[in-house]
Amino acid sequence: MVWDRRAMLHESALGFGSLALTSMLLDDSFARDSHRRLPQPHHAATARSVIFLFMSGAPGQTDTFDPKPMLSKLDGQRVPDSIAATVPNIPRSGVESKLFGSPFSFRSYGESGIPVSSLFPHTANMVDQMCVVRSLNHRVPVHGPGECIALTGTGVGDRPSMGAWMNYGLGSAGQNLPGFMVFLSNVTGPPPQLPGWGAGFLPARYQGTLVDGNKGVPYTEMRGGYTELNRRRQLDFINELNRRHLDRQGPDSELEARIDSYELGYRMQASAPEVFELSQESAQTREMYGLDQKETTEFGTHCLLARRLVERGVRCIQLRNGGWDAHSSLTSNHLKGGKQTDQPIAALLRDLKQRGLLDTTLVVWGGEFGRTPTIEGSRTGMSRGRDHSPSGYTMWLAGGGVNGGQIIGATDELGYVPIERPLTPADMHATLLHALGIDQHRLAWNHNNRDEIPTVFGGEVIQEVFA
Amino acid sequence: MKSSRLNIRISAIVRRCRRLGLLVTTGFALSTTLAGEEKSAVSNAKSANDDVVALDAFDYPKGRLQNPDGGKGWKRPWQTSRFAVSEVVEATESGTTTLGSVSSRDLSIRGTGERNNPLRRELLKPLTQKEVFVRFDLHYHGDTDRDVSKVDPEFFVLWLDRLDGGDGSTHASNVPNIGVHIADRGPKKGRNVLMIRVGPAHTAWSKVELEYNRTYRVVGRLTKSDDEARADYGQFDLWVDPKTSDWASPDATVSGAQSLSLIQWIGFSTGLKTEPTDRIHVRNLMLGNTWQSVFDESTALIAARDKRGINGILWNKPVDFKRDVYPLLKMRCFDCHAGANPDSGYRLDVHRELLGYSTGDVLAEPGRSRESRLIEVLTAEAEKDRMPPDGDDPLTDQQTAMLAAWIDQGMEWDDQLLPPPQRESDHWAFQPIVRPGVPHAVDTTWVRTPVDAFIAKTHAEAGLTHAAVASRATLVRRLYLDLLGLPPTPGEVDAFLKDQSPKAWENLVDRLLQSLHYGERWGRYWLDLARWAESQGYQHDFVRPYAWRYRDFVIDSFNKDKPYDRFLREQLAGDELQPYADENLIATGFLGAARISGNQEDDAVQRNDVLVDIVNATGSVMLGLTLECAQCHNHKFDPVSQRDYYRLQAFFVRGQLGNLSLRESDVENPTDIERWIPKPAFAYYSKEVESLVKKKLYSPIDKPHTWGYLSAASSDAGIERYPVVNRKPIKWQPSALKDAEARMLIRGDVGSPGPSVGAGWPEVLGITPSSLGENPRTRLAAWMADPENPLVARVWVNRLWQYHFGGGIVATASDFGVAGAEPTHPQLLDWLATELMQSGWSTKHIHRQIVLSSTYRQQRRYNKSNSEIDPNNRLLWNWPRRRLEAEAIRDSVLVATGELDRTLGGVSIPPEREAQNLRRTIYLFQQRSSMPSVMEMFDAPEGIASCSRRSVSTVALQPLFMLNSQFMTDRATALAKSVKEAAGDDSGKQIEIAFERTLSRSPDNRERELATKILQSDSQNAAHSGEGAHADSRLMQLCHALLNLNEFVYIP
Repeated sequence: MVWDRRAMLHESALGFGSLALTSMLLDDSFARDSHRRLPQPHHAATARSVIFLFMSGAPGQTDTFDPKPMLSKLDGQRVPDSIAATVPNIPRSGVESKLFGSPFSFRSYGESGIPVSSLFPHTANMVDQMCVVRSLNHRVPVHGPGECIALTGTGVGDRPSMGAWMNYGLGSAGQNLPGFMVFLSNVTGPPPQLPGWGAGFLPARYQGTLVDGNKGVPYTEMRGGYTELNRRRQLDFINELNRRHLDRQGPDSELEARIDSYELGYRMQASAPEVFELSQESAQTREMYGLDQKETTEFGTHCLLARRLVERGVRCIQLRNGGWDAHSSLTSNHLKGGKQTDQPIAALLRDLKQRGLLDTTLVVWGGEFGRTPTIEGSRTGMSRGRDHSPSGYTMWLAGGGVNGGQIIGATDELGYVPIERPLTPADMHATLLHALGIDQHRLAWNHNNRDEIPTVFGGEVIQEVFA
Repeated sequence: MKSSRLNIRISAIVRRCRRLGLLVTTGFALSTTLAGEEKSAVSNAKSANDDVVALDAFDYPKGRLQNPDGGKGWKRPWQTSRFAVSEVVEATESGTTTLGSVSSRDLSIRGTGERNNPLRRELLKPLTQKEVFVRFDLHYHGDTDRDVSKVDPEFFVLWLDRLDGGDGSTHASNVPNIGVHIADRGPKKGRNVLMIRVGPAHTAWSKVELEYNRTYRVVGRLTKSDDEARADYGQFDLWVDPKTSDWASPDATVSGAQSLSLIQWIGFSTGLKTEPTDRIHVRNLMLGNTWQSVFDESTALIAARDKRGINGILWNKPVDFKRDVYPLLKMRCFDCHAGANPDSGYRLDVHRELLGYSTGDVLAEPGRSRESRLIEVLTAEAEKDRMPPDGDDPLTDQQTAMLAAWIDQGMEWDDQLLPPPQRESDHWAFQPIVRPGVPHAVDTTWVRTPVDAFIAKTHAEAGLTHAAVASRATLVRRLYLDLLGLPPTPGEVDAFLKDQSPKAWENLVDRLLQSLHYGERWGRYWLDLARWAESQGYQHDFVRPYAWRYRDFVIDSFNKDKPYDRFLREQLAGDELQPYADENLIATGFLGAARISGNQEDDAVQRNDVLVDIVNATGSVMLGLTLECAQCHNHKFDPVSQRDYYRLQAFFVRGQLGNLSLRESDVENPTDIERWIPKPAFAYYSKEVESLVKKKLYSPIDKPHTWGYLSAASSDAGIERYPVVNRKPIKWQPSALKDAEARMLIRGDVGSPGPSVGAGWPEVLGITPSSLGENPRTRLAAWMADPENPLVARVWVNRLWQYHFGGGIVATASDFGVAGAEPTHPQLLDWLATELMQSGWSTKHIHRQIVLSSTYRQQRRYNKSNSEIDPNNRLLWNWPRRRLEAEAIRDSVLVATGELDRTLGGVSIPPEREAQNLRRTIYLFQQRSSMPSVMEMFDAPEGIASCSRRSVSTVALQPLFMLNSQFMTDRATALAKSVKEAAGDDSGKQIEIAFERTLSRSPDNRERELATKILQSDSQNAAHSGEGAHADSRLMQLCHALLNLNEFVYIP
């Protein structure tokens, strides 16, 4: 695609971007969606939607998908110099502390035999669908900026989130829903970072719509004693007066867009609540997602909603689950996190697969960084925890063209630093965009007279993911 | 290559010695035979050289420590602290050393007044041998009348550790140190002496007292208790200025300490007792296996001073620039590395650019081909790192050797052939403003003002015809919305319609410009530019409880028509201005509006982010330049260099944001901050206050204060700075800040500081005087408002034009650079700019020029032929209707319902109190991460970066907000109630009044008919709740619908 820079500048300078209406409400056919930026994808897409399972606070790689027998063997000892010397000089790297073997056991699953810790017995059964990337790394050991790096590419928080880029590039495939929706669960510990679903310098319409899983899309509930009938009548009145106003002035795409937005809003108001009617789901499905258990209700609801939104063409759904920040008592902390998320995530993958949606839905899992292989401070016994460690950590992808059952990259024997195929969050971003048919070098927005792209400081597609 | 060979040699020696059991005695055997024989030491240099483990003579190019090849025996270059960065300087000539020195360069370490680890370097191989000798020469520049009674005795040490200790020099307490401390006890108690320590319990103070400005040679020996590799280095001996014969009589010794068994990092730290003005010079750092090995510093220099040969080819002939160098550069390099804006960002056709003038990145320095980056890239082994690039043939060894020789011979240049460039540009915006003549008006019936004459001229040239004048009813609504951001009330509309005076329009304009609501409207545009908000931004986004004072300052300045030059001066330098006034200090809220990260482990990054924010905003708002590019590289389009960027930053490096005292007797001082801070934000803030109070980092401030900017060097002396609530409180150390210098950051990286630069404005915009005096920011502000400054007046009148018409004469209002848009009416722009200056920088004068014109009074009307010529109405052939901003939408609703509380200024309104305080939207609390919902919904900026023009998005959530939010439902109900109060039950009258209140006009017949249908619908269902209630509800629905019309939210 060559998106003409002048045309874009023109759009951003004159506000005519809105002639294309909103990211909601336009259907998937490229010919009809005048809003998204790409007349056609840069290349054949392997996914239509992305579900980002963002584990805030950061689960430890050595406790989840990157087993380290050596770490258990050296439990309580100092970090050997050979490894300590390779740990980058970042605050809180914990190399002075003693090693902490994972309290969780690992077992191989599936045909691929990929090992998964005892935290995720359900998800483990889906491991043949998953591509585990064990060599993510960056340099920022702090939650806020780390979350911004994981979701926007830089730590400052002034750039668009990946969901916003997707929304901008492709628009929504659905008729009546925002193209990018965000759910927050277990909001404890580090506060959610708005830039994680913000639009940055992109127009605000591309930002994620924050949704309360129990209440649905904001402002879709009528107040003030309206009935369907008198709301319809009211909209007809507004519509006719707006048309007459337009006719008095002559053709004006911006005014027309605003006229249309009332109809679109009306449709959204009508259809959005339906998405949240989980009673439509069978008891078996609800149970599969864990809606019948206290610990899994919240995240299970979000996972089930994510599937329903994918069915309705929403481009990007971000489920943020908090509470993984195990500075102390790692065992109980991670057990709790595992309990809350394992069954729902497995159900989501299985459900998508059953419905034939996994082929076109890319699911990605991970936190803002990993955790140190060492104990934080001098705690002992069950109160032992781990500090933040961005120098080497794990994420996984499934569905949407991902070649499952493989492991990419490796950390050293303790899980500190990648020794094979080091990758950055930006590489992950390029990969997600690639799956959607977007070339991260070519999707651009002119901001302050500069063509900005999603991966501003580099980031290349991890091709093996799809191999 | 060389270093690995050396490494093999050293380890071979170590292995051999171990095998022979000689390790203990080798060094001493040698030194014994050499005792008292200085000359023999030199003649035996070769064998001593073999025992050198690592060395560094700091023979680097000036200013840099980046060279990976510096010294021998190291794994990587020096790691530098991001705080008080060290630099390489000419060797200290003053002072003496008993043994003299061959090195011509010193490493200069700055004091910091706190613990800092300015330099650390990793050894090629960890040391575990039984004995390690370390030596360095030390020269302490400092005030001799220092107060030595401070508690913390830490001065300056060299440490040896397994780990690098980070910037804060956090080492375990048992790490060996050698350096200067105050003696705790002994004959020199309380004095600064040279000492060694392996933890506090194992410290020994020598009798050698530190004198300033004198060079010492310091030698230490670490010894393990036994031969085991894992044994501790438990003994540490110190010699000061030893002769080789002194090996048996150290000046201090500690033993029996539990220490490390392995050393991998060496570094220097400075302590609390050092002053930021101190300079500690170090040279000839050496580590060796033997006593003798650390004595012969000539080894350090032999390697460094070789002439540079390229693959064995050495160029011995004199190099002639014109004959030898120029043709080669021209043929092989200039395609990409010459001319004003080379693609690569580096130019080789300018002598001072080779020296790093505009980027700080030194490519070559006379006499130093060895460290030359130019030679480095020419000789890189990997093709991807080599120049010329892309598979082009490399230079021949002969050619490269010639270039190396040219550098070593002094880098002669031919200024006639390649003269230093003048920073000049023929870009229109950098040319002086000249007042153009007003075009002769042909259509004198339409042309009322000079503005019209310019507009009519372009209309005629383009073949456009102007639109007819809008109706008076439209005009009155337009002017109210445009100047006040509030629609007129029906009474105000009437008053204008009935005014038959020929000056009715002029009078209305004057009256509205005098309205105090004018400042609330136009001040908001400035707040967008100033990226102002009431919180720190970033992750924690703690509130700034007194930031509202700046909002009121801006509103008040617009209302007073404060001259724009004065307005800028107060904001750039209000803390410096004399006589002191609270108002001026509050104005520094412009600089203070920068965000502060609260979750930043790195102080230097936190601080740099603030400075970058200030420079970017200043450049963008006042100069209309996109300077941020030049943070990392010379600007790609504009003649703005990286040097220019950091020179501008230099105006601000001595200051910091903070809570600043106000002192006028009549200053308002509300202290019940929970009244105006949103509840969750207040709870979060209070929790932080509690924790900071516990750490003694904060105490609540009850004295009147504001949020602004204070300089440690030039602010009014009576201003007091109070602490700041932030997770990581931003540093304020007047002693360090008052001498702070701006340093160019190579490629924008805080970890790669380049040379320091003085304050100045971009070269292309004029010459900065050699001295800026005591108050440099006042000078900067004066330069901004100098008639010679080509940008400031143009940029401001263009912004005013844009706010009136929706688009500027220059469409890119904050980019007047080469890549910005061309002005549609360059002469009109310059005419307005001169009007601004000639009127004493009166903003209201410019408003009058614009709104009194026929151009402004046109109606909105489509015209096919015009539209084909100028589809976007850039030449203003009819009124460019535009949507109201978020604030004006909400404010208009409140005017229509009659609920608007028109109180001016004061503390902000939190969301919980909004319903009881229906004041203008500008007074709603502005927390960056949680803006009022109407602002989020309708494209208001978040105060992160300067916003020169809001986007206009149209999304389905907007109608949902306008139809379903509690706020809007309440307003519709209130409007219905007030309509009913005025009209009673007469539905015709109700419709009439509802239209007047919302649209400033009567309905036409069709509209009346449609409205009647709404009011009469549903009556068949009225049975069960009574007709009265239903009628109210239907009136509410009509009112609600009117508030949703395009006509209501667009300026007609």
